[in-house]
Amino acid sequence: MTSSPSKNGTGMIEFRGVNKWFGALNVLRDITLSVEPREVVVVCGPSGSGKSTLIRCINGLETIKDGDLVVDGQRLGDPATNMTRLRTEIGFVFQSFNLYPHKTALENVTLAPIHVRKIPRTEAEQAGRELLAKVGLADKVNAYPSQLSGGQQQRVAIARCLGMRPKIMLFDEPTSALDPEMISEVLDVMVAVAEEGMTMMVVTHEMGFARKVAQRMVFMDAGAIVESGTPDEFFAQPKTDRSRAFLSKILRH
Amino acid sequence: MLENFSFRTIVEYLPLFGQGLVTTVWLSALSFAGALAVGIVLAAMNLQRGWLFRVPAKAYIDAVRATPLLAQLYFLYFGLPRLGFVLPELVVGILALSLNSGAYIAEIIRAGILSIPRGQVEAGVASGMTYIQRMRLVILPQAFKVTIPPLLGQAIVLVKDSALLSLISVSELTRAGQLLASDRFMPAEGFITIAAFYLLLYYGLKGLAALSGRWLGLQPARSST
Repeated sequence: MTSSPSKNGTGMIEFRGVNKWFGALNVLRDITLSVEPREVVVVCGPSGSGKSTLIRCINGLETIKDGDLVVDGQRLGDPATNMTRLRTEIGFVFQSFNLYPHKTALENVTLAPIHVRKIPRTEAEQAGRELLAKVGLADKVNAYPSQLSGGQQQRVAIARCLGMRPKIMLFDEPTSALDPEMISEVLDVMVAVAEEGMTMMVVTHEMGFARKVAQRMVFMDAGAIVESGTPDEFFAQPKTDRSRAFLSKILRH
Repeated sequence: MLENFSFRTIVEYLPLFGQGLVTTVWLSALSFAGALAVGIVLAAMNLQRGWLFRVPAKAYIDAVRATPLLAQLYFLYFGLPRLGFVLPELVVGILALSLNSGAYIAEIIRAGILSIPRGQVEAGVASGMTYIQRMRLVILPQAFKVTIPPLLGQAIVLVKDSALLSLISVSELTRAGQLLASDRFMPAEGFITIAAFYLLLYYGLKGLAALSGRWLGLQPARSST
């Protein structure tokens, strides 16, 4: 694995001229973006700017209309690409957690490893316990989602993704549904995942997190990538009026 | 008034009521199993995006819900032999109840599946599950819990509907009441007794539903959001 940027398409995630419409609405406009292995990219922008749609395209929760999207060397929409298989390499953390309410925390973590990855149950459970311990929930192994706080549920959701040993982790506003006092416990786990070298794309407005771990900030507006750069550049000298206006709103308080 | 009410005759006919009760129980159970199978297939067809399966399923469900069960029963019992299919009355009865109740159960199952939040499907998709795995591991276990109360209601309706089979001379519970009524001219005794037995079956079913709920685990089927 290389961490040096490349021009000729060896990125872990490669958008090349991607467009998508919802009816007449152009929700993604000419997106070109390459995410290198082990890179952490934070995507921000106003509501409705297409951030969530962007990362939902990567694991095929949304389909693109034209352009190329290549993930882990496989082109999406290509008949040769086994989407179900590719998804096992991509963890996705939802804003609303989406834990399985009829399964315990441990079962949430082991379900896909056992049935999709075909890992023996005892082995998957061992790994699941370790992952739950890693996200600080060793004592909640047998708890059901309804018995956990939002922050705890989101940490189980992250452990659930890690249980598949993915190459990529996508986060869709992972802390937006949380009470303020629970945000940091989730961000701490995400920082730890980033520091282990995971390739990550994170849609978030948590600028402290972006400063700490992101190599790159991507700012979107009206379906297009308006600006991208290192967090230092982006926060110190936003280049466009729209990013300046956005930053002044979210950093004011 | 009540001095004319003959408990003695009821006791005398108890073996007959007992046989009728047993018949009603097992033919209802078989019919409900058949109805579940019909309902699952119809619901699966009805949930497809393409019209090829959805349209016939909808047409069948509409046809069954729009027509009286008695008409359906008579069609199968009197009509089918004219078309060359001669079946024993018990088979016709179970078939009619399965096909009829299956249409209602299809709608219950469909509603149950559709009640599961979209995020559950997406979580399964995102973790690389196939459609079958998602259904088996994520959607159906949750949908099933939601559907237990309406399925219980449908089972109760089915047991009561099975009384119509007395009209094609199946010796079930209502038939036993009819026999007492006509043999001894005691309709009050005959029909109040079968009513009592149906009430008994009703409570039995309620108990069974509560047990199956406990057996499936009583964790709430609500999603986290």
